[in-house]
Amino acid sequence: MNGSAVMRPRIVEVRERVLKQNDLLARELRQRFQEAGVRVVSMVSSPGAGKTTLLEKTLTILNRGCRVAALVGDLATENDALRLQRSGAPVKQITTGTTCHLDASMISTALTDWDLKGFDILFIENVGNLVCPSSYDLGENLRAVLISTTEGEDKPLKYPTIFNTADIAVITKIDLAAAVEFDLKAVHRNIQTVRPGMRVVEVSAKTGTGIDAWLEAISFRK
Amino acid sequence: MHELSIALNIVEIANEELTRHGGERIRAVHIQLGPLAGVAKEALLFSFGLACEGTAAEGCRLVIEDTKGRDLDIVRMEIEP
Repeated sequence: MNGSAVMRPRIVEVRERVLKQNDLLARELRQRFQEAGVRVVSMVSSPGAGKTTLLEKTLTILNRGCRVAALVGDLATENDALRLQRSGAPVKQITTGTTCHLDASMISTALTDWDLKGFDILFIENVGNLVCPSSYDLGENLRAVLISTTEGEDKPLKYPTIFNTADIAVITKIDLAAAVEFDLKAVHRNIQTVRPGMRVVEVSAKTGTGIDAWLEAISFRK
Repeated sequence: MHELSIALNIVEIANEELTRHGGERIRAVHIQLGPLAGVAKEALLFSFGLACEGTAAEGCRLVIEDTKGRDLDIVRMEIEP
């Protein structure tokens, strides 16, 4: 084969973010939220950390004084939405099928028939997963990562990415800490190791401990 | 687990770029990947092969350059002609 017959590939420069579509859509969402005057708080954690229980408590309390709503993501079932609707707040389930995270387009689709101006705070409960949701901006104003006392104290060290993309950390099921010999000092230290200066609140949705601090943290009152 | 959707995104962008540059086949896609992007390299490489099937990128290489932070960018491609 002579040289001229060998096809040499052309090298072209690209410089595109892989998630540019999601990022663009998330930016649009953030702008819509701002124009409508709604604060958007998302919650991420592993399955079973207590996102739904904390959200149910939160919606029940806030629904008395302000207009709250929630989107809740799971692979299947409407169970969480049905549970959260008991709070009296509008709740919509997003079933992702096999997808392990919510993305901006799912949020946008779920919001099509809701008038955002009618809400003060919108909660987004992500699919239970500490890995995949970290890559997807949902246009939220604040992202809370939850870790329960029934998990290992080293979760922040094992999943640093999600802690790095979150704004606050919430330690849930604090009422069980002593019973399961959860080392609170260690978890605080581990959170600060992966994300120095991160705000941390300790709550029990069951007993109400720390709920005020949580509400203060999500209402952005400093 | 979400590497397949990331791979599909890469292939979609690569095919758009191919059209823009007037090529026919994609031979390689070079990306930069930071440790905080939350993407596992092995899973991405595996998914990428599947994502390329049936497109002009079928059989192409994915070259991953380790960078910093949350980088997840396509930097260049090798295309024909």
